[in-house]
Amino acid sequence: MIRLGATGERLAKWLISLPPTLFLLVFFVVPSLIVVLASFRYPGEFGGLASLLPLGGEASGLTLSTYRFFFSDYVYFEIFLKSFLVAALTTLICIVMAYPLAWLIARSPKKRRDLLVLLVILPFASNFLIRVYAWIIILGPFNLLYTSFAVIVGMVYVHLPFMVLPLYTNLEKHDPVLLEAAQDLGANAWTRFWKITFPLSLPGIFSGSVLVFIPVLGMFAIPELLGGVGDILIGNLIKEQFLDNRDWPLGAMLSIMLTIAVLALAGLSAWAGKGKGRMA
Amino acid sequence: MSKNAKARRKTTWPALLCALASLRFLLLLPFFAAPAARAADTLYLYTWNNYISAETVQRFEAHCRCRLKQDYYSDNEEMLAKLDAGASGYDLLVPTGNAVEALIRRGALRPLDHAQLPHLGNLKAEFMNSWFDQGNRYSIPYAYSITLLGYNIEKLRELGLPTDTWALIFEPEYLAKLKGKVTVLNSQRELMAAAMKYLGYSVREKDPAKWEQAKRLILRAKPYWATFSNSTYIKDLAIGNIWVAHGYSNDMFRAQQDALAAGRPFTVGFSTPKEGAVLALDNFVLHKSGKRPDLAHRFIDFMLDGENAADVSNLIGAGNPNGAATPRIKPEIAGNPAIFPTAQEVGRLEMLRDFDAKSRRILSRMWTEIKVR
Amino acid sequence: MKPWLWAASLSVYAFLYVPLAVVVLFSFNDSALNAEWVGFTTAWYAKLLHNPEMLGAAFNSLVIAVISSSVATVLGAMAGIAMHRYRPRFMPFLTLTPVAMPEILLGVSLLLFFRQILDLTLGMFSIVIAHITFSIGFVAIIIRARLAGMDESIFEAARDLGATPWATFKRVTFPLILPGIVAGFLMSFTLSIDDFVITFFVAGVGVSTLPLQIYSMIKVAVTPEVNAVSTLLMLLTLSMIALASRFAPDVLKGKG
Repeated sequence: MIRLGATGERLAKWLISLPPTLFLLVFFVVPSLIVVLASFRYPGEFGGLASLLPLGGEASGLTLSTYRFFFSDYVYFEIFLKSFLVAALTTLICIVMAYPLAWLIARSPKKRRDLLVLLVILPFASNFLIRVYAWIIILGPFNLLYTSFAVIVGMVYVHLPFMVLPLYTNLEKHDPVLLEAAQDLGANAWTRFWKITFPLSLPGIFSGSVLVFIPVLGMFAIPELLGGVGDILIGNLIKEQFLDNRDWPLGAMLSIMLTIAVLALAGLSAWAGKGKGRMA
Repeated sequence: MSKNAKARRKTTWPALLCALASLRFLLLLPFFAAPAARAADTLYLYTWNNYISAETVQRFEAHCRCRLKQDYYSDNEEMLAKLDAGASGYDLLVPTGNAVEALIRRGALRPLDHAQLPHLGNLKAEFMNSWFDQGNRYSIPYAYSITLLGYNIEKLRELGLPTDTWALIFEPEYLAKLKGKVTVLNSQRELMAAAMKYLGYSVREKDPAKWEQAKRLILRAKPYWATFSNSTYIKDLAIGNIWVAHGYSNDMFRAQQDALAAGRPFTVGFSTPKEGAVLALDNFVLHKSGKRPDLAHRFIDFMLDGENAADVSNLIGAGNPNGAATPRIKPEIAGNPAIFPTAQEVGRLEMLRDFDAKSRRILSRMWTEIKVR
Repeated sequence: MKPWLWAASLSVYAFLYVPLAVVVLFSFNDSALNAEWVGFTTAWYAKLLHNPEMLGAAFNSLVIAVISSSVATVLGAMAGIAMHRYRPRFMPFLTLTPVAMPEILLGVSLLLFFRQILDLTLGMFSIVIAHITFSIGFVAIIIRARLAGMDESIFEAARDLGATPWATFKRVTFPLILPGIVAGFLMSFTLSIDDFVITFFVAGVGVSTLPLQIYSMIKVAVTPEVNAVSTLLMLLTLSMIALASRFAPDVLKGKG
């Protein structure tokens, strides 16, 4: 790019990197560490966090009691499990729905392709709550509102574009020559798809899945607005601790559990991505 | 100047400009951290939805030549959580007894100056000096409600079901006839309290084993319930979608009035179950971040006057701790034991009290189980 | 093209658009209950314009969006340039994690940070900071992608022709990344206007934004007013995204 003298280079490097780094350090890294710390504190007598220093009256200092509480009963595990299942189901449905669309876009001539992509993104332009509200209107008269079905529909609806885009990006790069060759060798349409297209598209499916799975894990608005009383996911639990129960240590602990789950998934996808690597 | 120095000068420029640009914007931000400018004579009230009628507000505004601005919450927890989040600037809050205790112990309230409340004597003695505020140093009772059962009178008579017991929402033999037509409150404390009362325990019972019992009772009845609802039951009861609802007496009053006004072919009734119920006494308190304690005192005194106090009963159907208001309350409301319990019934009513942090946690996990199973 | 492919794709498109069309359509419904279609009216839009809470929330949303996207664009552009040029190891993690994590985590951590450490009253300031935090990553990606796509030889040519580094930046680099900067600004603006989850946790009392307003309307009383404000919001963000796509079409292919 621009060639500078050695010291000028270093100075510019610092000046350019410092402001965003500092900002994110203060407003992202530090708060995250505070969450970790909060999970080890006692809950305040009236909500919030108890003080770190002994003030007399209430428990203070650090403790593992919140973690022990979490592991002492399995209802919270059930909710984590349910959240993973909902995320998995949503991802699966998104893959099935997105595939034909992504293929169509990938195989279309360039000009039409941009239009088709834009048409996929435009609903995403509407506010996420509006997209949920639309389903409240539609499902209400059918008595399907406040059910698990409604939650899944809402989740799929909100996250579908995230599956279409990486998938079509991947499919676009497939060399049509491969399919032609297979056809010449006598393979039928299904075999061609299953043995050639699908395996080559796996990295795209993977990227899309990560983009759907992780946000779904943390959602609370969709279960709250579309789901019934029992449709609680991790996000709802966390929100409840902070805004209803005022049990901040438990909320912090649940957030940490969610973070670990997400990091594990991200790590898994990065490792798998490296393995398969070519056409991500 | 040396070549290096020149180069250095030239690279610093763009970076510096970037830094200055962001700085300029960041400097604007503190202006938003400061509280918004407030109108001079405005009283800020943080209260329950529909707890002060519009007529009363207008009369007060005319009386004090000031403005009253209200923000609403739908339960104590929400109010306390918002205050925890740093909400400030409210002069008056209307917390229930257990929340008053929490606020006092947190040091969040401003003590009252009884000298500014000449009408204090209007209050009935049995509502003063409550367990949460001896001497009424911080709070003045405003209204009370009972958490009870509301029902479709004709439907229940037709089905031959009792209307004076919690068994109506907990016993499968009754629920079988009501499947899908019952709602209960989406409130951890209230639903557990109803179950505890039915089982014959106090609502302040802290024994987790007894809570387990209550939980099992609830889970056994849950399949018959339509849903958990804190507010939609008013409309559903008034329309006829729901035949039995667990809710607040003043909400049931509203449902009753709505059904009457709409000319429905049925009537909504409500009564306190014989096993006992929860009494919620709501009070005016001054939050220490309020800017106009003088106006706040004037408002409280205004509301202590018999005529103004009567509004909350006549218009909202809430119980009234104000003795001077009694002659002005409509007889059908004053005579309704579900709104104004008799001395004998009062003995069966209990007020909720907040548990310690550990018990709260166990209770909240139990509540999660109730919702999920 | 195979017909079944078209059929499947069209049904997915229908799935995407019909609900939104319903929202827009029912914003003209002459019925407060909005359960079924009664008649056509634009009254709800008029009502919206006289709703002080709604106007206040809209104003707040706009102010927050302008400030946060301006700062995020500057900081994000710096991050993008730094990542492309110097490739510090930590930077991608630092800028992109706020984007990749479920929003609730960022909301919760900022809530704790503001209340517990800074004892700050939640309001405009906290919302702006929160929005900047998750927008930086978006802008950085866009700028980095833009830089990566640039042909290095053009800079060598400029240098060979005797341009100073500053002149090169001013007349070659900057105009070339300008579309990326504009796209980044528009993206952050859209993200800020639309954000719900994070704003929900750090907004506190007294400051409302449009999404928060819509949320409480959905929870308390659903009238066609909600549809009306939704339609207007859709138009706004639609135009923003359409504009952004013209400046940086490659970005919208997904972050994967």
